[in-house]
Amino acid sequence: MTAFVEYLLTGVARGLVFALLAMGFVLIYRVTRVVNFAQGAFAIFGGLIAYSLLNAGVPHGVSEVLAILAAALIGLVFGIIAIGGDVPLLASLVITIGLSILSEAIAMLVWGTIPITFSGLAGHDFVIFGAFIQRQYLIVLIVSLVVFVALLYGFGRTYFGKAMSACASNPYAARLSGINVKKMGLIAFTLGGALGGLGGVLVTPLSPITYSGDVSLSITGFAAAIVGGLTSPGLAVVGGLVFGIAEQFVAGYWSPSNETAVALALLIVLLLWQAKRAPVGSLE
Amino acid sequence: MKSTDSTAPSTDLLAVSDSVLATVDLVVRYGAVVALHGVSIHVAKGEMVALIGPNGAGKSTLLNTLSGINRPASGRILRNGKLAHVPEGRQVFPDLTVDDNICLGAYRGGSRDTAPMYELFPQLQRLRKRRAGSLSGGEQQMVAICRALMANPDVIAVDELSQGLAPLVVSDIARHLVELNKQNGTAVLLVEQNAQLALNITSRAYVIENGYIGLEGRSSDLLRNPAVRAAYLGGIR
Amino acid sequence: MRASRKIPIYAIVAAGVITLALPLFLSSTNTEIYVTIGLYTIVVAGLSLLMGFAGQVSLGQAAFYGVGSYTAAILALHGWSPLAALIVAPIATAFLAFLVGLPLLRLKGHALAFGTLAVQLIFLAVIPETASLTGGSIGLSAIPSLRIGPLAMSSGRDYAYLVWIVVVVTLVIARNITRSRPGRGLRAMAASVSGASATGVEVERYKLKDFTLSAAFAGIAGGIYVFFIGYVSPDAFPVVLSIEFVIMVVVGGIGTVSGAFVGAALITVVSQLLTSLGTSPSLPPQLPTVLSLGVYAVILIVILRLLPSGLVGAFSRLWKKAQAASSPVSDFAGDENVAVVSAVGKEEPNEVTLVDEV
Repeated sequence: MTAFVEYLLTGVARGLVFALLAMGFVLIYRVTRVVNFAQGAFAIFGGLIAYSLLNAGVPHGVSEVLAILAAALIGLVFGIIAIGGDVPLLASLVITIGLSILSEAIAMLVWGTIPITFSGLAGHDFVIFGAFIQRQYLIVLIVSLVVFVALLYGFGRTYFGKAMSACASNPYAARLSGINVKKMGLIAFTLGGALGGLGGVLVTPLSPITYSGDVSLSITGFAAAIVGGLTSPGLAVVGGLVFGIAEQFVAGYWSPSNETAVALALLIVLLLWQAKRAPVGSLE
Repeated sequence: MKSTDSTAPSTDLLAVSDSVLATVDLVVRYGAVVALHGVSIHVAKGEMVALIGPNGAGKSTLLNTLSGINRPASGRILRNGKLAHVPEGRQVFPDLTVDDNICLGAYRGGSRDTAPMYELFPQLQRLRKRRAGSLSGGEQQMVAICRALMANPDVIAVDELSQGLAPLVVSDIARHLVELNKQNGTAVLLVEQNAQLALNITSRAYVIENGYIGLEGRSSDLLRNPAVRAAYLGGIR
Repeated sequence: MRASRKIPIYAIVAAGVITLALPLFLSSTNTEIYVTIGLYTIVVAGLSLLMGFAGQVSLGQAAFYGVGSYTAAILALHGWSPLAALIVAPIATAFLAFLVGLPLLRLKGHALAFGTLAVQLIFLAVIPETASLTGGSIGLSAIPSLRIGPLAMSSGRDYAYLVWIVVVVTLVIARNITRSRPGRGLRAMAASVSGASATGVEVERYKLKDFTLSAAFAGIAGGIYVFFIGYVSPDAFPVVLSIEFVIMVVVGGIGTVSGAFVGAALITVVSQLLTSLGTSPSLPPQLPTVLSLGVYAVILIVILRLLPSGLVGAFSRLWKKAQAASSPVSDFAGDENVAVVSAVGKEEPNEVTLVDEV
């Protein structure tokens, strides 16, 4: 029972991180139609930069926020490289693939290959149902929920959010309405960077990260985004939780080395499910 | 079908200064291809003007240039008021609601109150919260027009109003445009392949072919012009 | 459709003759490089078609290459004639691609990219688990040499010639496909952002065909590879190889047939350089990986931003300028959707520079 609860809670915590990444995917896709392969890299940079700042003596809280801002900046830069000017969709996708590889190279160069972690905000840990709950889980929960609510509201209810959605919905018409599609795209990338960075900052105290960790984060985040059809942030959150929890249970009850393989298998299954739901030819 | 020397500007300065919209010798190129050869048109305040011509003549190109989507190679665009462009093929935001669609028309500024639009097109009232992508062609056309009107334009340019719509629907919407023009004094530039419709509801018209303005004059005169009848009115409808 | 050639025919013939004669003069190491370039050209030709026509990216071509290798190896080791095993290899990969592509290609966005990456990772994860069949992480060895009728392929040079023939056949097939695509609608499919889609069903069928074909190309290349080398292990098919294939496509020119060769040759050379550079003893151990990853990333990004139609595309533009082009640049009517441009860049707004000629 204790193990069960532990898996569940770790799963929820990691699931929320996946959900944050998924939000980043959804956001960028909704506005630019680009599937951002470098989404996981934002998380890795967030975690690594926070680590360096903490090591340099910058206090908790400040380090994390700075790291998130840095990730947002990286998001903006990546956005400029990927969509700045007149870049067709396919090229943007491949550029983000290139950017994710570049991120790995930079991460390895600066931070090396040894897994990195840092302790979360100091405070009490809890015991619930006999399971040991790190304080970090609570932080992840609260912060993510706040962010999700803010995003859901922002996208669905605010004028600006609707304008952003309009960009992906019909870029030509958006332009005619006076919306600067390119600027919106860059904003999306910046926000996506921040969301990824936040995810990285939240998850690193729980599980160490390395330069190559972006791949599995990207894949799982993307899979969660697919649950929401790449456009629904609400369902993306659900997807993230599902994957987070499933990943823990599989790792716990089956075998740890199968983690990635299962996430991937889940991805395929999900895509199959999505394909059945959607009528042919309606998605482009 | 060239009646006048189309290289000299056919609009005198007086007409231009009275206009809410004018182009002088507009040249637009796509790469090496010239799409518009020295096009000069003008739309006076409160006027309803038609631009007719076959597919590929440059009509949409002209509108896109007026909206700033294309950059002209040479020539001038004079705007004495706000221009709203209702693009070809409706071009709604399919994933957003009708109300959101219309509301976004005010993005550049101005009142975001959509109520007046539903007075103009009452049929849309019950569709307010529906996904714009699920509407019929005619309904989407109305949404697109409302969206354009939200910007409170002095002139509204409608590209291919009749495309893909049933005649009854088209005449209904056209009637609304005429009403709008009478009530608000909003000028209308109607770009159309359906010459009969365009010439019927407008007071003045241009004929554009292969990027040249071939003919211009009062719509009633053009309706009787044998060349126009032969090319655009006879035997087609 | 324009009849102008991207690359003059004498250049093609010259390239053909030179590459045909080359194996006579190469040492065995260089023969291996020759064969590698040839095999990669085959894979890249398929991927280039997929990217150029279906507008989709596959990050799993190394896996298909690997599936081709393993299929051929396993069959040959179980008594099949090597030739038969070689023929089955592309069929098996095509079938696998069909299964994977059928659902994935229906999805919006570029889901195929992630899906194929997942396939690649699953492939790498599955091999060690099925050691009894696949030899696990150690791999399979003692694979019999290929025998085509009475001809036994024993020396590297034999394989070099075989590869040359298969490359030519593959490129011809690819070229015929690029020419047979009816109308601009399908070519534009790759290009449009706002969706200049032909009817939905048509578009999807072509996407699936392209994907399956690209896998088949990779499969046969993998089959030849395994007979050439004589053993197979999962180390030969890492994720980075899939990415290298994408880079080869981009460098050569997305959707161009001759670009497949150009890209494969160049990147193989670069990769050899990086390996020798990175492994000199004085340098820190992580450098090779950083170096290759970094260099590949930079090449990819720079080419896509500055030379979007790849080297072949850039060359053909220079060539056309030098020819003082008399052919009409386009049969483009002013009102057509200007968004229909080449899939990777807007050099001249009305030129569909994609996938035209060799």
